Amino acid sequence: MLEIENVRLVYNAGRSDELTALDGLSLTLPGGQFTTVIGSNGAGKSSLIQIISGAVRPTSGRVRLDGTDVTRHADHRRAGRIARVFDDPRAGTAPELSIEDNLALALARGRRRTLRFALSAKRRALMREHLARIGLGLEDRLGDRVGLLSAGQRQSLTMVMAGLSGPSVLLLDEHLAALDPGTAARVLTLTRELVAELGATSLMITHNMEHALALGERLLVLSRGRIIGDLDAETKRATTVDGLVDMITASQDTVSDRLLIGERA
Amino acid sequence: MVERLLLDTLVTGLPLVIAYLGIYTVFRLRSDFDLTVEGSFALGGAATAVALTAGTDPVLALLAGAAAGAVAGLVTAMLHRVLKVQVLLAGLVTSIGLFSVTLLVLGVPTVSLLSADTIFGRSGDRTVSLVLGVIVIAVLVLYGLFLRTEIGLALRASGVNPRMARSQGVDDRAMMTLALVMANGMAGFGAGLVVQTQGYADVNMGIGTFVAGVAAILLGELIMRPHGSAIIRIVACVLVGTLVYRLILVGALRMGLPAADLKGITALTLVIAVAAHRYVASGLRRAARSLVRSREGVS
Repeated sequence: MLEIENVRLVYNAGRSDELTALDGLSLTLPGGQFTTVIGSNGAGKSSLIQIISGAVRPTSGRVRLDGTDVTRHADHRRAGRIARVFDDPRAGTAPELSIEDNLALALARGRRRTLRFALSAKRRALMREHLARIGLGLEDRLGDRVGLLSAGQRQSLTMVMAGLSGPSVLLLDEHLAALDPGTAARVLTLTRELVAELGATSLMITHNMEHALALGERLLVLSRGRIIGDLDAETKRATTVDGLVDMITASQDTVSDRLLIGERA
Repeated sequence: MVERLLLDTLVTGLPLVIAYLGIYTVFRLRSDFDLTVEGSFALGGAATAVALTAGTDPVLALLAGAAAGAVAGLVTAMLHRVLKVQVLLAGLVTSIGLFSVTLLVLGVPTVSLLSADTIFGRSGDRTVSLVLGVIVIAVLVLYGLFLRTEIGLALRASGVNPRMARSQGVDDRAMMTLALVMANGMAGFGAGLVVQTQGYADVNMGIGTFVAGVAAILLGELIMRPHGSAIIRIVACVLVGTLVYRLILVGALRMGLPAADLKGITALTLVIAVAAHRYVASGLRRAARSLVRSREGVS
């Protein structure tokens, strides 16, 4: 279970360009729940992810993971329990390193790293098994540098890495945004499978209202650092894209073109 | 003549391989600039020399040099972590401060080891090369094995993509500290070997180490083309690069160039290596891009 309690995040506090990214946001995500998050530009979606992953510390408020207060834990200390897939397909992997080295790095997540060899026959077998499941043929290219892979392949690899070491929270930060429609559809399928398989508390940020409505058991609508809509599975089924647009415009937030057009994947 | 050239290259080059491998650790694996080596190299040499003149076992004297270098690296790491100074600036400050420390350790600007016992005893250049070769190979193997460990992998990843490394649970700042301590420890160790081969330590012996190391690394990269996961190529790159670089310098000396011109040769080598990188590497990148495109076309 993930609890966010009255979190405020203010950038450039006290200056003329002061910006409130999260404005007293509270949220409880029960264990295993798959939630999608939607909102206009600057609504605080990415800030929410940053706060949960620990990349940014909130100005005030608390973050609790399975009852433990992790507000002051740095991102690398939370990594064992919180896996993250970035919006930029290049961000989640190390291009200079081979596929197997990237996976080995993820395999050691959440454990104390030692002077044991990062790669072994046993670990390579495990990697092949995981890679074979995504059906991109990467299991035969363990030694290839990740920099040689396409954006879709890299994002798929990041997803596999996120799934290793069984995280209790999975953060997907607009992870389809930079992919072409065909690849996005493939990675989306992979997302459904990964979330179902892990059973982790999952939070998926998206600009695509159809995705937001079609996936998950809960939908959060963010605006100006607050939650303005919290739809459960049943309400979500009854809601249309137009209904969501109305909800966002009603909060006097502009709906960006990107949000309206979306990728009709 | 050729034999003399090669022996000179080995005797003066092999000790530097270890120091330059240290430079590689920060410069390439961490993608940062650590100027501490200029100071830690001299300090390591000084510590070894003073230990030797005090009658310490030559092997222990080498370890003293390595320890002195490592402490220097730790100082830079602490400046970086605690005061949040950039590594470049922290290293510069440390190296300048270390000049005084080194002078304090040596007592005089130059300490001769003519009467002291070294690991090489009174042996000739062939034996010295052989002993150095064994030590260098041992260090290279250990270094390569370390890079293959979980911690070594975390170090390599943190330099390539720090954000990703942190999201995979790697403590980025701890890796920087580790890299700085390792790099300067190796610089100190290499300097200890230099001191034992050349028979003296000088307070100025560290000046230019960083640039020379970078020149050697760039030369090695032209030949070996290492990357993050090709560990044998990484150690081979530093070994080959250092020896080629020393061969150029020794060759220049043999051709009758005055010793004062050597720094100029170093700078020239660096410029030529950078130019070659620009020219050759851009061609390679183009080839890699077209390869990716053709693969995507297939899938």
